[in-house]
Amino acid sequence: MAALTFTLKNNLIRSLDCSRLTTDILANKSTADIEVMVLEAYNTVGDWFTVSGSDSTQIVFKGTNQHLTHIGKQMPNGTITIEGDCGDFLGQNMQGGVIICKGNAGDRAGDKMRRGLLLIEGNAGDYCASSLMAGTLGVLGTTGRYLAYGMKRGTLLLAKPPADQATWVDCGLHTLPFLSLLFKSFTNIDTKFSKITSTRAQRWMGDISCTGKAEILLLDQD
Amino acid sequence: MNQNDIQIDDTFAEAFNMRGTRVLITAQNLKWAYNAANAMTGFATSVIGCGVEAGIERELAEDETPDGRPGVSILMFAMGSKVLMQQLETRMGQCILTCPTAAAFSGLASEDQISLGRNLRYFGDGNQISKLLPDADGNNQRYWRIPVMDGEFITQETTGMVRAIGGGNFLVLGESQPQVLAACEAAIEAMKKLPNVIMPFPGGVVRSGSKVGSKYPKMFASTNDAFCPTLKGRVKTELDRGIESVMEIVIDGLTFEDIALSMKVGIEAACSLGPDAGIKRISAGNYGGKLGPHLFKLHEILGT
Repeated sequence: MAALTFTLKNNLIRSLDCSRLTTDILANKSTADIEVMVLEAYNTVGDWFTVSGSDSTQIVFKGTNQHLTHIGKQMPNGTITIEGDCGDFLGQNMQGGVIICKGNAGDRAGDKMRRGLLLIEGNAGDYCASSLMAGTLGVLGTTGRYLAYGMKRGTLLLAKPPADQATWVDCGLHTLPFLSLLFKSFTNIDTKFSKITSTRAQRWMGDISCTGKAEILLLDQD
Repeated sequence: MNQNDIQIDDTFAEAFNMRGTRVLITAQNLKWAYNAANAMTGFATSVIGCGVEAGIERELAEDETPDGRPGVSILMFAMGSKVLMQQLETRMGQCILTCPTAAAFSGLASEDQISLGRNLRYFGDGNQISKLLPDADGNNQRYWRIPVMDGEFITQETTGMVRAIGGGNFLVLGESQPQVLAACEAAIEAMKKLPNVIMPFPGGVVRSGSKVGSKYPKMFASTNDAFCPTLKGRVKTELDRGIESVMEIVIDGLTFEDIALSMKVGIEAACSLGPDAGIKRISAGNYGGKLGPHLFKLHEILGT
């Protein structure tokens, strides 16, 4: 079965809440059923997207831009691939599964995320991983202000150095065999993250304004 | 029946139901994987005194392990699930957690799961980290990262437990102690290449086979006098005049077929030395077929 694909029809210039386009809500729905689903206000899926494919465990967004918000909100399982940029609240309160964003993500990516894997190949906006509770969030590009604000547990994997933060404490540079396990779990995922091999990382723990049990790992790729 | 002109007794080995598990141990290199695995499988020759019977099954290449490091797989057997769980947790805590660079992973997929690092995680005193990651088949597996002085100890939360069989065996009877030991060593070398079995005694060989009961009321097992060469003529013996030494190889395995194949391979390897090497007979240990539900008949095994 081909992945259930949402291709943006028009050049969206205002935000559009995509929180209903997740694997659990779309399971066992026909294309016709999906097209009449209301996303917000009077906007249906069919107004904004061309829908194709039928495998609701594999969802793909094409032709996207920064106005598509709340993609993957509360998703319990499956995979969402965004072949471009997306807006704020990517993977908010995510409960499981995998989200891959091939472009840039807006603010508050991974907000209150509880479980699963959220991989952003481009840049992430402000408040990335805010209040994240568990799971793994990776960003290959840059991150904005207030990184991991209120992050409780879980792992934030970075390829580029974050700005200094008062509530994150430096735990030093380490070789972590755990990263081999993590990278191995990327093997079957179509993402640039699967090319990472370095198990050496700078570690911070925080956010000490709350539990202080989360970690930021900055990959040492020299 | 003869194998390479060596007599094979028309008898059988009698084996028992056990519970078994497999654990994959990895480390920075094979030397440290063996250090961990040897400790984990130490003092695990017989359930009579050790609680479990355990041994190293085989070496694992880097592409066979979850974390991409070299390692070894361990098989561990006990008479019941409760003892197996207790022993696994104790040995994980004292032998793997303590060993530099070592990590432990599940080696068996099974509906029955027992704790590998589920309780050991509390050693982290609140600093332990859980990670739920998909394996090669896409099934989520939970791992624990426990901060320790050399870095992090990584262990999978559980491993599988299956019904298994313990106590497959055969006896090698020969003219002298060195000759019997040489035949047993040849058998063990061949048997170690097979999967799903271990030979838990020192070097895979046991010299003190036992019988049920004793003249002393407190002893529930005592020396197998019928196979003790120095008692020939004094007790009801199983030995001919020319036999001066007997050694036993005991096998635990995941299935009947695994044990039967290892017995066949081991007996053929021992017999390949021939009668000129002092090997006279191959026999097996049993309790008359009344105690263990699994009977490994030597003639049937070698005939297949």
